[in-house]
Amino acid sequence: MQRDPAYYIQGVLDNNRLQLARTITLVESTLVTHQEIARDVINELLPHTGKAVRLGITGVPGAGKSTFIESFGSMLANKGHRVAVLAIDPSSTRSGGSILGDKTRMEQLAINPNAFIRPSPSGGSLGGVARKTRESMLVCEAAGFDVIIVETVGVGQSETTVASMVDFFLVLQISGAGDELQGIKKGVLEVADAIVVNKADGDNINRAKLAKKQYETALHLVKPTSPNWMPPVMTCSAVEKTGLEEVWETIINHKKIMTNTGELQQKRREQAMSWMWFLVNEGLEVWFYQHPEVKSRLPQLQKRVEDGSIAPTRAADELVSILGKDLLF
Amino acid sequence: MASNYDKWVEIATKQMKGKSPDTLNWRSPEGITVKPLYTSDDLQGLNFIDKQPGMAPYTRGPMATMYAGRPWTIRQYAGFSTAKASNEFYRKNLAAGQKGLSVAFSLSTHRGYDSDNPRVAGDIGKAGVAIDSIEDMKILFDGIPLDQMSVSMTMNGAVIPILAMWIATAEEQGVKQEQLNGTIQNDILKEYLTRNTYIYPPEPSMRIVSDIMAYCSKNMPRYNTISISGYHIMEAGADSVLQCAFTLADGVEYVRTALKAGMDVDTFAPRLSFFFGVGMNFFMEIAMLRAARTLWYELMQQFNPKNPRSSMLRTHVQTSGWSLTEQDPYNNIIRTTIEAMAAVLGGTQSLHTNSFDEAVCLPTEFSARIARNTQIIIQEESQVCKVADPLGGSYYIERLTNDIVEGARKIINEVEELGGMAKAIASGMPKMRIEESAARRQARIDQGKDVIVGVNKYRLKDEKLDFEILEVPDSVRLEQIERINQTKKNRDSARCQAALEAITKAAAGDGNLLEVAIEAAKARATVGEISDAMEKVFGRYTATTQCVSGAYSSEYSEVNDESAQVIEALRKRTNDFAEKHGRRPRILVTKMGQDGHDRGIKVVASSYADLGFDVDISPMFQTPEEAAKMAIENDVHVVGASSLAAGHKTLVPELIEELKKQGASEILVVAGGVIPPNDYDFLYNAGCKGIYGPGTPITQSAANVLDLIEGK
Repeated sequence: MQRDPAYYIQGVLDNNRLQLARTITLVESTLVTHQEIARDVINELLPHTGKAVRLGITGVPGAGKSTFIESFGSMLANKGHRVAVLAIDPSSTRSGGSILGDKTRMEQLAINPNAFIRPSPSGGSLGGVARKTRESMLVCEAAGFDVIIVETVGVGQSETTVASMVDFFLVLQISGAGDELQGIKKGVLEVADAIVVNKADGDNINRAKLAKKQYETALHLVKPTSPNWMPPVMTCSAVEKTGLEEVWETIINHKKIMTNTGELQQKRREQAMSWMWFLVNEGLEVWFYQHPEVKSRLPQLQKRVEDGSIAPTRAADELVSILGKDLLF
Repeated sequence: MASNYDKWVEIATKQMKGKSPDTLNWRSPEGITVKPLYTSDDLQGLNFIDKQPGMAPYTRGPMATMYAGRPWTIRQYAGFSTAKASNEFYRKNLAAGQKGLSVAFSLSTHRGYDSDNPRVAGDIGKAGVAIDSIEDMKILFDGIPLDQMSVSMTMNGAVIPILAMWIATAEEQGVKQEQLNGTIQNDILKEYLTRNTYIYPPEPSMRIVSDIMAYCSKNMPRYNTISISGYHIMEAGADSVLQCAFTLADGVEYVRTALKAGMDVDTFAPRLSFFFGVGMNFFMEIAMLRAARTLWYELMQQFNPKNPRSSMLRTHVQTSGWSLTEQDPYNNIIRTTIEAMAAVLGGTQSLHTNSFDEAVCLPTEFSARIARNTQIIIQEESQVCKVADPLGGSYYIERLTNDIVEGARKIINEVEELGGMAKAIASGMPKMRIEESAARRQARIDQGKDVIVGVNKYRLKDEKLDFEILEVPDSVRLEQIERINQTKKNRDSARCQAALEAITKAAAGDGNLLEVAIEAAKARATVGEISDAMEKVFGRYTATTQCVSGAYSSEYSEVNDESAQVIEALRKRTNDFAEKHGRRPRILVTKMGQDGHDRGIKVVASSYADLGFDVDISPMFQTPEEAAKMAIENDVHVVGASSLAAGHKTLVPELIEELKKQGASEILVVAGGVIPPNDYDFLYNAGCKGIYGPGTPITQSAANVLDLIEGK
């Protein structure tokens, strides 16, 4: 349904849950007409953003992300914070559909009046996720949420994309059979502001402590995210609700240090810049793939590359030069 | 002995005009290859075939003479909405030849809520009798001598208060604890797997199980303290191998729990009983029961029992509820008869036969009579009871028994590698396997590969319902609340308070919970109060929902025919929708109320995602208000409410009302599950846009949902 920008802007600023939800739908839409309205909406909302703690959380499937957010978010919501959770779920590459089950693991938080949880399908393109989630984050900030949690599964490049839009990037891990570092990608360690070893409870406590030591060693080998911040490794139990206060204190402390050194402002400026470049790249891609001549020539060229009747370099050149024809120089 | 198999192949090949008879092989859902002929060759290496009934490993049955000595017990599971109505029903059935009682409880009671709790307003008396205090229990068993009557109670979540109230009722009748006879289901592990009627997290729940075993082995030697249930695993969609494997793995876990609590294996293992579900795959079901006995004997040997009864699997069987159809429902009588025959030929110790109307509503007196007579006729007219294990020695049955033993053993080993069933459940493995099996079965049905007469073949053009339907009036809830208030007013509140505190203390320490709960029951504490007293220490468990993807459509990709085209057409529609509207059609599937059967929504969620929908799943046990909040936040196009336990008439209209109240009347509501056709108009009038009864192919409901979203 088409509504004018004022409907969305007013709804978000009034913190109307229904209109907020619809605004996120608008922002996520792949329709050009929707995107045009979304741009206006975001532009108007921009002055009302920037005050929230932006927190990214990743972890391998099974690390207990949803359970962590359930306990952590509930703790914050009960302290009076207004918590928005944006969860990105992978879509099936075959059918395009997705199963968005996060809230089944966030039962208490889901019904907390101080919380807003929105799972979003990745829709196949992780780049798309980045744009949508970043804008959804701004929408939630404008609606007065002061803690925004962006959750992503640890697949593909989604962690680094999310890390590039938040102030604090938390990597959730669990202790396994002792070979902890197998499950963690180097690229993830490089963007982590903290590693939290979850499920430090029951007969798992000692293993969690051991894992903590191993991650600490590993972190010493990578360059810290900032000269003023050495990413700590902590343990917690989302189920028993232990260690969560410490995680929150760390995040607040990080924010204080980064604000005092001016790094936070700098980071956000850089993020805005890389966002612009990201959109430029994306725009180019869309321009390319939607170009009627590209669309018509692509299948045949693909086939010729496959059967070896044309060199890949030559084919790429021909395709890219299609765009050049539109330029007036 | 020569089998002459080669000769047969020759003749068969000729008859088939040169085609090999191997082309007639059928791959069963379990992955077992079933051949068109079995011979003595197939018995090679089977080491149980020369063991007779009553001899380990009990493949041919736990008793030496089986039904020739005494037929199985006819035990019909039933519970009407109130204690009084149930009591009348039981008395009538006992007069009509039934030998044991089986009590079905209200969903609210299962989850440890009193009838005056607002969370369960839509659940009271649905699916069974609501018990709030010993006063209800006394009405339930009024005039039924508990020293003579074996009583089976299907209770797993609120097992402590219910068992305590039953024991206290018996004592107030003047019956001693050691005279009590019967079974409590008390199988909490499978609740985490399928039915979801748990209250506490797994660890304290297992402690409750072992407290009950410890108390009863000391004070109630004739009582079966657990009924390890495969039935619900099957109903959730598991095939025979999965049912067999996970049920026995549950059993092993209980044995370990009891041993850890310091009990001697021979004090409790002879009292373990099993409960299997039997469906329409006739020979497979028979073989499964024989395989389960064989494998249980094998599994128990690691615990070195001295008493032979400790490794003897005795079981109750219920015919499958899932196999019943809403369409052309009298067919269900025939299905139930076939399933009952399978249970009997498989050697069950007791049997429940379903009523033909159970796909539509709770059984009426009429349908319950037909169901009971099904068993009586098999027992008394068909002469099948004259010989023990009449199928023993059948090449096919013996081989199939062995195939299931092997398949199940493999899965049990996987479970063992994960550290036993409790750990395996925590890992999500069994649940995923069951759901995958369920999604595949749904796909086979939707394609017509698995035939269901009256549903996907020989469907009636005009269907009309010509039998009465049992409805639960809302007055049930008010009556219950009234009695709670009376009970609370008349009781000695200091005594009651002290008893409840003792329960909390026992929960925190190591006192026996059943022992202290019996005093609380006598002091007129309610089910909700006793449950809360434990919850203070244990907490309430919330499930994590996982969902498989790809299983539904993968059944389709095996064939390249019309049905595969249906899938492709729907995918194209969802893709076109996404292009036109900027996002995919988005549906929230939710389960409101205390009914925990989630196979339906899992299958729907998984299949819809396979068809290109974005599917949100709500937590279990939602109130309409919570479901509406979630629908709005996630901004879905449509909410699909699943109902299997008669809650639809209150919950669905409330959801529609709630959406309207929150300004989101654009969000459509559809309903699915066990909804009697007579209620369709009521729901349509309340604003429900689509209703999908049992047997509706997923592809059909998905197409209809798309029509609705697109305003067609």
